[in-house]
Order: sequence, then C-alpha cells, then structure tokens
Amino acid sequence: TELRLSHQWSNQDIRHQVAQMVADEVAAADVDLDIKIFGSKSLFKPREQYKPLSRGQLDMTVLPLSYAGGQQPAFNLTLMPGLVKNHDHAARLSDSPFMEALEEKMADDDVMVLVHGYLAGGFAGKEKCITSPADVEGQQTRAAGKAFEQMLAGAGASITSMASSEIYNAMQTGVLTAANTSSSSFVSYRIYEQVACYTPAADVALWFMYQPLLMNKSTFEGLSEEQQTALMSAAEKAEAFYLEEAKKQDAASVDVFRNAGVEIAEMSTDDFEAWREIAKETSYKAFVDEVPDGQELLDMALAVE
Amino acid sequence: MDPLLLGALVAVFTIFVLFSGVSVAVGLLIVSAGFLIVFDGMRSLELMPEILFGKLDNFALLSIPMFIIMGASIASTRAGADLYEALERWLTRVPGGLVISNLGACALFAAMSGSSPATCAAIGKMGIPEMRKRGYPDGVAAGSIAAGGTLGILIPPSVTMIVYGIATETSIGRLFLAGVFPGLLLVALFMAWSLYSTWRTGDANVLSSTTYTWRQRFEVLPRVLPFIAIILGVLYAMYGGIATPSETAAVGALLCLVIAIVIYKLWNPKDLWVVLRDSTKESVMILFIIAAAGVFSYMLSSLFITQSIAEWIGTLEVNRWVLMGVINLFLLVAGFFLPPVAVILMAAPILLPIITTAGFDPIWFAVILTINMEIGLISPPVGLNLYVINGIAPDISLKTILMGSLPFVACMVIAIILLCLFPGIATWLPNAVMGTSV
Amino acid sequence: MAVQSTTSVARTGDNAFLKAVAALSTVAGWISAGMIVVAVGITCQMIFVRFVLNASTIWQTEAVVYLVIAATLLGLPYVQRLRGHVNVDLVPLWLPKGARKGLAIITLSVSIAIIAVMLWYGYEYWHFAWDRGWRSDTVWGVRLWIPYLALPVGFGLFLLQLIADLVAVLLNIEAPFGLEDD
Ligand code: NA
Ligand code: NA
Repeated sequence: TELRLSHQWSNQDIRHQVAQMVADEVAAADVDLDIKIFGSKSLFKPREQYKPLSRGQLDMTVLPLSYAGGQQPAFNLTLMPGLVKNHDHAARLSDSPFMEALEEKMADDDVMVLVHGYLAGGFAGKEKCITSPADVEGQQTRAAGKAFEQMLAGAGASITSMASSEIYNAMQTGVLTAANTSSSSFVSYRIYEQVACYTPAADVALWFMYQPLLMNKSTFEGLSEEQQTALMSAAEKAEAFYLEEAKKQDAASVDVFRNAGVEIAEMSTDDFEAWREIAKETSYKAFVDEVPDGQELLDMALAVE
Repeated sequence: MDPLLLGALVAVFTIFVLFSGVSVAVGLLIVSAGFLIVFDGMRSLELMPEILFGKLDNFALLSIPMFIIMGASIASTRAGADLYEALERWLTRVPGGLVISNLGACALFAAMSGSSPATCAAIGKMGIPEMRKRGYPDGVAAGSIAAGGTLGILIPPSVTMIVYGIATETSIGRLFLAGVFPGLLLVALFMAWSLYSTWRTGDANVLSSTTYTWRQRFEVLPRVLPFIAIILGVLYAMYGGIATPSETAAVGALLCLVIAIVIYKLWNPKDLWVVLRDSTKESVMILFIIAAAGVFSYMLSSLFITQSIAEWIGTLEVNRWVLMGVINLFLLVAGFFLPPVAVILMAAPILLPIITTAGFDPIWFAVILTINMEIGLISPPVGLNLYVINGIAPDISLKTILMGSLPFVACMVIAIILLCLFPGIATWLPNAVMGTSV
Repeated sequence: MAVQSTTSVARTGDNAFLKAVAALSTVAGWISAGMIVVAVGITCQMIFVRFVLNASTIWQTEAVVYLVIAATLLGLPYVQRLRGHVNVDLVPLWLPKGARKGLAIITLSVSIAIIAVMLWYGYEYWHFAWDRGWRSDTVWGVRLWIPYLALPVGFGLFLLQLIADLVAVLLNIEAPFGLEDD
C-alpha cells in the first residue's frame, strides 16, 4: 500500500524529519506500507492540505492545525497567545482532555492525529525590541495567525497580512516594522538581516503553534492490523524526537540572530501577563463568541498545569 | 511505470494535444485530467477545480491585470506617439534615427507596461507607418518594433517576472531590478544593429531628411513628462516603502488611467471600455493559463515526474554550462510554441532545483529565461508580437516581419551569451539596492 | 495565422441560441472587467489606509484576491467569445478544409468534456464549502462558498459558450478555428 504525505517544508526542516522518520520506521517494519513524501509544497499549497485530507484525497500531512481554523473554528485554540507556557507544558497539553476534545472535532472531519507536537516562535522588530504590549503601538505588524492579529491590534499595532515569504522585502522597504512568526520561519526567511531586535521563545513564550502529523481516519482504518501497529509505533518514536528537536529550534534561532548582530531581548513574566490580559479581552473573547463550546474548550486548555 | 518514462509520455501527449488547435489552457487541463485518471485514479480528478482555484489564490497575481491596464490605458492615447515624436526630434540627425527613436520609445514604454504585445502595439501604431513613409524597408520597420516590443517583459514591470517570482518564491522587487541592465543592454544591441544596417545599405542620408529647430525639440519635452511621472511614481511606491510590488501595480494602473483620462482626454466611456475590455481579455487569458498550468504541475508532481527529472539531471555528470546550454535550447523551443507564462509555470518547478544545484543564481536565471521567452514572442508559430504587427500593418507579410526581426533574435542570443559571461549585468543592481541575500 | 487578433468575435448568425449565449458571455465579461476595476480601487485604498493612516488592513488583501479569481473565472466565456484564449493553430492551418472542420469538432467536444468535469467537481467543491459552513482562516473570515461560487458559475457559462461555438461550427455559421479560406 502506498500512502501520500504532503507538507510545505524543506527537507532540512524538523517537520520533514518527523515525517521521514515515520516513513522510515514503517518501511523497516516491512508491513507492505510505503509512505511517499511530497515536501516543499510540491503537491498542495500549505493552507490547502486539510481539505483534501478530510475528504480522503490525501492520506497524510504535517501542518499547523490552525490553518484549518476556517473549517473548525475550535482549531484556533492551537495558536492562541499565552495558552502554552513552554515545550514541556505543550507536551502535557497534547496528552490532556483538551486535546481529546479537539481530536473529536478532527474525527468529525475524518481526520486523526499520529504525531503530536508544538513549535514556538517570537517577535522581531525593525527599529526596537518587542517585549511588552506598549512596544507594538503604532507599528505595522505582520502576525502569524488570527488570534495574534486580534491581540496585537488590541495592543495598538496596525495589522498587515502578507505571506511569510514577503516579510523580508516588506521589512526592507519599511512597509512592515514588526513581525511575529515561528523560530524556524524567522531563520529560513533570513529575517535576521532586516531587524534590530529579536525576542525569541525562552522561559516564557507567547507564541506556540500546534503542528501535528495528521492522517485520514478512514484510510487508517482501512489498513491491516499490523500496518496500523507499525504506524502507531513509528509515530510514538517520532513524537519523542519532535519534542526534543522543538526545544533545540529556539536556541538555534537565537544563535543565528545573535551571530548576525541582532539584539536579543527577553520577555519577562510581567510582560507575558500583560499580553495575556490583552489576549483575554481580544482573541480569547472573539474565540468564545465564535465557537459555541468555545468557553468550555478554553477552560479545558487553561486547566492543564 | 517509471516516472521518467511517464514524463516522456506526458511531453509527447502534451505536444500532440496543443498542436490540435485547442486553446493552451484547456489543452493543459485535458492532458492533466487524462494522466490523473489513468495513473492516479478518480480522486485526483475530483481535486482539479480546487487546485485551479488554489493556484489563483495568490495576491501577487493581482499585479498581472494591473500592469496590463497600465500599458493598455496609455497605449490607447496619443502618449505613445508623443513619446516617439519627442525622441525622433532629438535623434533625427543620427543615421537611422527613426529606428533608434522607435526602439527608445519601446524601451521607455516597456518601463510602464508589463506585457510585450501592449508595448508593441503602443509604439508600432505610430512608428511603423512613419518609418515606411520615410522610406525604411518594411522588414526593418516591422522587425524593429516587434523586437522592441519584447522589451515589455524584460524592462520592469514584467508579467513574466511576476509569474516567475510566484512559481519560484523569489522576490518580485528583486526580479524587476534584475531586468533593468539586461534590458538596456538589449536596447543598445538593437540600436547598434539598426545603425549598422542603415549605414551598410547607404540609406542613412536619405533617411534623415527632416530637420528640427532646437525650439521644436524643447517644446515637445513637456509631453514626455506624464511618462516620467508614472515611471518615477511607480518606482517610488515600490522601492520607497509605500507598497509591495504587487500593490504598486494597482497604483500604477490608477495613475495611468487618471493620466489617460485627464491629460489625454480619454473620457469617452466607449474608449474607456475598449481599454478595459482589451486588458480584461489579455489578463483572463494569462490568468487562466496560470491556473491550468498549476493543475498541470500538480499532475506532474503527483505522478512524481517533476521530482524524478530533477533527481535524474542531478545524477548526470555534465558541465554546468553544457547544462545551461541544453536548458536554453529547451526554453527556446518551448517558447516557439507556448506563451511565456505557460513555459515559466511548467518549467520553473522542474528547472529551478537543477539551476540552484548547478550553482546558478535564480534571479540571474529569470533574466535568461525571459530573454528566451522574448525570442519566442517574435518567432512562429505562436509569436504574439508578430500578430500584433500583422494587425497594425496588414499589408506587410508575416514572412517580411519575420525576416526583419531575425537580426534582433541574433542580438538576443548575444545578450544571453554576454549574461552568461558577465552575470553581474543582471545581479549587480538588485544586490546593490536590496542587499546580497535571499 | 490569427492567434490573437483584436477584432474577431464569435459569430452568431440569426441563431437565437447563439445570440442568447453571446449575450450571457458579454454580461459575464462586463462583470469580470468591473471586478478588476474594483480590485484596483480596493488595493489603492489599502495602501492609503496603511501608509497614510497607519491603520490596520483586515479585509482588503483577501477581497482583492477573490475578486481577481472571480474576474478570471467569469471572464472565461467572454474571452472565449472574443477568441482571446491563445492556441497553436499550425496543424489546423495545414489541414484541408474538411479535415479542419472535423478537427474543430473533436477539439471543441473534448474541451466541452473537460470543462463539464471542472463544472461538476467545481459545483461539488462549492457545495461542500456551503454545507460545512467553511470560512477563511482570517480575522475577516469570509464564508468560502461566496468566492467558490465563481467556480460553478464561471465554468458553467464557459461551457455554454463552448457548446455555442460547437453549434456554430456544425451549422457552418463560424469557420472552424475561425480560419477563413485564403
Ligand atoms: Na515592462
Ligand atoms: Na513563438
């Protein structure tokens, strides 16, 4: 049996490595299962992977689940400011009733999770450091994700939407003065060449994004028992690897920015709380208004210690 | 089936379908559907409209209709004639001055228009009859405009550069800058050839009969001002931190429409509709090809053809310049038959990894690719510019136009060789303005 | 070798069906051109809001993208009517008259078939978005069935125009591939 896996990343990326690891492990199990990886958006555009996945036209994908927030608004909780404190907390969230509730929603779309994983990110400023909400006032900002746009707008930033590939040039010409995205995107788009200051994910981080390896549920159920077992044990190994590597990403991005002569700022616990207060009034509130069982889900997420 | 063999089968089948006379975009859909059904099953066929929609779901594509409107609105006024006349009054003493003025006018107009046929039409409407009236051979008159028009996609803004930027995720602003000096190089080569050919035939004296006073020369200058204003306005918006290149296109379109209406009095709704209709027609044609080529490249990728070809070429131990030569030949042949956007969209995903692995700069390669496409625009069977000229001067036979543009094709080949020897012609400006990386 | 001539338009003769389809395609063309103009306006407004007012731009990018997509899809029938879709007509030119007509009938029929497929699955995709209440994943959160509607409508009208073109060739109202005898 051949399964097709699509993702948007280069083959050096950690998320590709996770997919490759599952493919290799499954191949080694010798259960007549071959996972063919279509990386670097070679098959689908990033935001157009969930739809074919849920309709069984694609078998597997690794993607930020919030990309599918337009189809399942509950998924917007997987990119919500201040919900995840650090990588270990993220791992506890993945193994909580909160995630079970989300997996139920995925099951409605005929989708299941094979590998859980969160990646962190930070802020970069062209002129100054962005640590507290006051720092973004009046800045033209590109945020990764709807909830962050709402929070940043609440802090007085002006929001501009553009593809992450455009950040570099927009920063250079001054169309953009601040940006928020994942550590790995900051590095891969060489944003360090354009900014004065970088606020990475450290002891506390605002920006965490859930980026699991997903599979079409019916396709999985159609596999033989030993194929399913092989997949599941491969996924378990990959998940452990994913968590360890995710922690390393943040530190690696700091090195790259520091070597490029960019100032490195740190977000204090007070800053974090200030952001979270704004988020409560903006993105949390918008989420609860939009999603019928939103409050319940939010409480479940906040309940995870 | 082996993906490489499958790739060859796709190539043969595509040529067969496209030569049947079906429109290029629909032809690409037909080939894609055929291969998806046979080798991938029905589930991929179901995806076709979704993928087509997804390929169009890109903000940068907005700039295509915008840059076309820019060219079309100005082309519909007497602005082209003004530009051409101004240059002519200044260059009349130069032997072959009229051809030189026409080429100069094409180059300037190209700085406002993103498409080649528009550039060709704008200057040709005035330039060709004028050259013929003054005794220039039909071939020279038609050929120089056909070739000069191709500058439309090399000198920024350029629809093909936008499409390349989207397909390869390279900066459109950077690509635009990369086209500037190669564009000027081509203009210089074209002019040099024209000078030489008029001098050789001894027509030079006959051809510079009209003289203008300095007063006449200066009084025509203000009429060139709108052009300069538009070009500067667009450049300022694009590189001055006001807007991204895609957004700038809208500023340019608005500027051109306003100037066409206010300064050139294009306020008859009927005339305005013609501008809009022609722009819509060209834009929809190009955008549909882009969408269909997107489905086509999905098919290639889904059947693992793209990946396998790139891998296969990577294993070939050939000299990188031999590789570049082969790629050029391929582009040239593809350009003979297909419109530039189709070639770029189908070739870029396959060629780009090869190019970068071989150590070539993708920005530089965009320029090489564009010049190849320019050659295609003035060569049969699908040479859009040839047909534009044919529309302007129906009594000049296609063969004459073709023979007249051949020397200019030679100039383009020389430009490609020069660019290979001195890549800095393309890469220096973008690096100087926007830094050396990304 | 008329690949793109600015004047040619599909002929309708006195045929009521052909005239009706021509009218529909033309209206679609007007709407398409109008959408492009609106996209120009919105983009300029967006630059103004961002650069002059230094304020947020929430909906503009998305609106412009969907307008251009809709302009493209709705423009298809009109551009077909204006013979604006580029083709390679080497073989048709080279064929004798009878064979040329045969080839025109085949290419038009296959075109009709593929566009019918696009219409069918385009409709299905639109219906899926409608049924599931899909929205775009932005703050604006457009109901996706609205932009997706351009798929069935655009391909539907395009299909009609292609059928009309086939009818015109069959009834000898239009020369195959628009190529008159020299
Ligand atoms: Na141009
Ligand atoms: Na050609």
